[in-house]
Amino acid sequence: MSPWICPEVLLVLAGVGLILTDALLPPGKRSVLPGIALATSCVLLAGTIWQSGQPMPSSWGNLFVTDGLSSVFKPFFVLCLVGVTLISVRTPMGREEAVRSEFLALPFFSTAGLCLLASAHDFLAIFVALELVAISLYLLVAFQRTQVRSLEAGMKLLVMGGLSTGFLVMGIAWLYAAAGTTEFTRILLEQAGRPASLALLLAVGLIVTGLAFKIAAVPFHAWAPDVYEGAPTSITAFLAVASKAAGFVLLVRIFGFGAFALDSVALVFRPVLLTLGIATVTLGTLAALPQRNLKRLLAYSGIAHAGIMLLALGTLGEAGMGTVVGYLWAYLLASLPVFIAIQEVERIYGNADVRHLDGLAQKDPGTALGLTLGFLSMAGLPPLLGFSAKLSVLSTLWNAGEIPGLVVGVIMAVVGLGFYLVPIRAMYWEREADSVPMCRFPRFLVWILLVAGLLQLLLGLQPRPLIRLVERSLAPSVSAIIQDK
Amino acid sequence: MEARGIAMTLTWALPLLLLLPTLGVVAIALGSDPRKTALGVSLLNFIPAFLVSGVVLREGEILFGPEVSTLREVFPIQFRLGCDGLSLPLLWLTLVVTLAAMGVARAEVKRSKEYFICLLLVGLGGLGAFLSVDLFYFFSFHEVALVPSFLLIGIWGQGDRTGAAWRMTIYLMLGSLLLLLGLLGLVFAVPEISRTLDWRVLTETLKAQPLGVKHQTILAALLLIGFGTLVSLVPFHSWAPGGYASAPAPAAMLHAGVLKKFGLYGLLRLALSMTPLGWKEISWVVGLMLAGNILYLGMASLAQRDFRWLLGFSSAMHMGTLFLGLIGGTVLGLGGALVLMVGHGLSAALGFAVAGEIGHRTGTTWMQDLGGLAKKAPKLWFYLMIAGMASIGLPGMANFAGEIMIFFGAWSTHPILVGIAAWGVVLSSVAMLRAIRSISSGPVSAAMTAQQTSDLQGGREVWPYVLLTALLFAVGFIPNLVLGPARPVLERLIQP
Repeated sequence: MSPWICPEVLLVLAGVGLILTDALLPPGKRSVLPGIALATSCVLLAGTIWQSGQPMPSSWGNLFVTDGLSSVFKPFFVLCLVGVTLISVRTPMGREEAVRSEFLALPFFSTAGLCLLASAHDFLAIFVALELVAISLYLLVAFQRTQVRSLEAGMKLLVMGGLSTGFLVMGIAWLYAAAGTTEFTRILLEQAGRPASLALLLAVGLIVTGLAFKIAAVPFHAWAPDVYEGAPTSITAFLAVASKAAGFVLLVRIFGFGAFALDSVALVFRPVLLTLGIATVTLGTLAALPQRNLKRLLAYSGIAHAGIMLLALGTLGEAGMGTVVGYLWAYLLASLPVFIAIQEVERIYGNADVRHLDGLAQKDPGTALGLTLGFLSMAGLPPLLGFSAKLSVLSTLWNAGEIPGLVVGVIMAVVGLGFYLVPIRAMYWEREADSVPMCRFPRFLVWILLVAGLLQLLLGLQPRPLIRLVERSLAPSVSAIIQDK
Repeated sequence: MEARGIAMTLTWALPLLLLLPTLGVVAIALGSDPRKTALGVSLLNFIPAFLVSGVVLREGEILFGPEVSTLREVFPIQFRLGCDGLSLPLLWLTLVVTLAAMGVARAEVKRSKEYFICLLLVGLGGLGAFLSVDLFYFFSFHEVALVPSFLLIGIWGQGDRTGAAWRMTIYLMLGSLLLLLGLLGLVFAVPEISRTLDWRVLTETLKAQPLGVKHQTILAALLLIGFGTLVSLVPFHSWAPGGYASAPAPAAMLHAGVLKKFGLYGLLRLALSMTPLGWKEISWVVGLMLAGNILYLGMASLAQRDFRWLLGFSSAMHMGTLFLGLIGGTVLGLGGALVLMVGHGLSAALGFAVAGEIGHRTGTTWMQDLGGLAKKAPKLWFYLMIAGMASIGLPGMANFAGEIMIFFGAWSTHPILVGIAAWGVVLSSVAMLRAIRSISSGPVSAAMTAQQTSDLQGGREVWPYVLLTALLFAVGFIPNLVLGPARPVLERLIQP
């Protein structure tokens, strides 16, 4: 099958198409555009899922590979796009209504970057892909340019993103100096069996630092809460789920199979990653406790999740990599519906304060139930999917003998309940505080919430489909490397 | 062959036991009458339970689900249910207490839909945990009850309900996660080739190839702290009295009567049989803790002025005696512990039901305001007496049978602890009799006159109390109802 019809190309074409359609449509007919965007994203999702089952050769001299990992994560990113488009469509744009088509089209470009990232097998391709993602995101975060908050968020992301890119590029440069190549397999072959040179370690350190910004790991997390709060909710969802996942996919690829899957690197970076994980999960959980704005709460909860995943990743074994893959899917299923609901709250009240959920269970039991399942899954309560994900992290740590990480992970899982129960408490326990009557959520969104909740319940009770997915993401990659050798 | 085929068909009764409450939850959510539906499914569940009991009594155990897989997987999770002589009494305890709790719960409570859904879920959690053979589901089902309990106390509770709900939830979550570590430890202790989450297979493997003493000690300690927190073992008890005092009566009945038994069941089933050497190593710690339960909580119960708090403390206190049965290491002691589990479940449920009813009818549970209850509400007073007498271990009740067996079982190994436990009987008698005296005798208090206190009316209100009382006496007079099926399992459990 020709690599020219890969999701990346189709996504870019779709994005361009959306902008052109907007330009060609007569002004009165622009209201069809959100529908077109949503339909396009759904078609692309179907196409990506279909295509991920097809065998595809590596292309362009191993710059772009199609393996288990990429075929599991391209649908992931496009699914995020569908969710984000769904939220974007319902975002009130105010004065930016005239440029809604850009707001809808830019995530397509960003998603193309993410898909490229999942397939990139060379640091140069990675850099291009990351920048494609990041530049679209700078625009999107600051999109509501009449709001100070949005501008502030855009500025922060720009500065922090620029800084992280700086680290990354510096790391790539050092890597080239140390290994003479930027292609993953060749780095691996070049460096295997040798003690790691200082230049290589420095390169890995700088690259990990650059990626730590992307996944909002402590101490490079400070941008996340402000940016999450200021950005339009759809973009917050994109940052929280897709962008974070991209960082992890990259980490899994470089530490799991390519480039840095070296014993010499593991010796130094296993403790580094585990320490990062412990710090991240601790700070994320503790800082989330006093939050009363849902977007900030989810920002810190996202930091905590990143920490948990870093702990699993830090064990640097196949089990750890698989755990991260499964955890990301569980995280996606739990958080996308929650963001959809937050958008509706924001649409009605203007902000996402948790007290707007007061008494929701009586006004709209379906939404309350769906949200509850989402939050509980994030908290990792059985029998929901989040529990299986957390359980696999804990058992990976146990198996790897990482007792400090295990203990911190357990304690933070308990403390985490302290803030995940806050919205649930508001929905079921508090009386309606606002005199503003809460409009009922649109029925189809409630159904999305409920179906996602049910899916988490079923997958939690029987996680086998997810385990199959994880196995698929890991197995072919290993064989691909052997073939290359 | 014929009988075998019937038994195979009857295994479907096991998932049915879990399916019925689930369907009840769905039906209530979709709008059917909450109390009637809840009562209906709780009663209907007796039918599969009878079928299950029939098979267990005949064949020793009943299993549902796929064969144990030997596939090497990261998580060999399999939905398998099972019931043997040890789970059977607890299954019945759960069903009876659930039915009684639904009977006591009032239809006219605010937001009755969510109320009965939460109650059904708590019962379902207990039921699922007792019937699960796979450790994943064993643990998960217990956790299912966590959030409904939080909401039950938080929304429909009384007193400091917010504090009580948070305290209970955080404690139980922490306990569960420590327990989870212990369970992971058990699973990972087995070589990869025979790794499984099925506790029946796991027990056999760990009996055939026991772990080292140190390894066992660590795991036993984790399981002790994990399960111990769920059972409110001192010093991890402080969620219990306040939680029960604040919870609405049916929730307290289900939690104290059923869910607390999960921890004991787990220790009996897993810790004792899989880490026997470790359990022996730490038995002195357990001894200290249970002495704390008996003496410290016993003293604390003397100081209570609110009947609900008194019940909360005395319920937590009796866990000490139960643990004595678990560390005795004799079949007699273990059997006693099982009988006391059932007895305590029934008597605690009865006690909280009466306390809830008194609170509802008089508007208070402060004992000084309840003087003269015997005159105003003789039936309530009668069941209050029963609950009190059962709790202090009056002969003829299940609790007495259990306690006496525990004392005999532990006498040869832990005579001092038996002495402490006997002293605990005295403490609890003093506390309970004082409470009963101040509630029942004396002139009718001003509060009760003002409230126009009425008694239980007719069969519709009385039957849950009759049910619990009858069973307390039945097990008290014929402990073999519980012991008969359980004895072979217990014997196998402590065989090296």
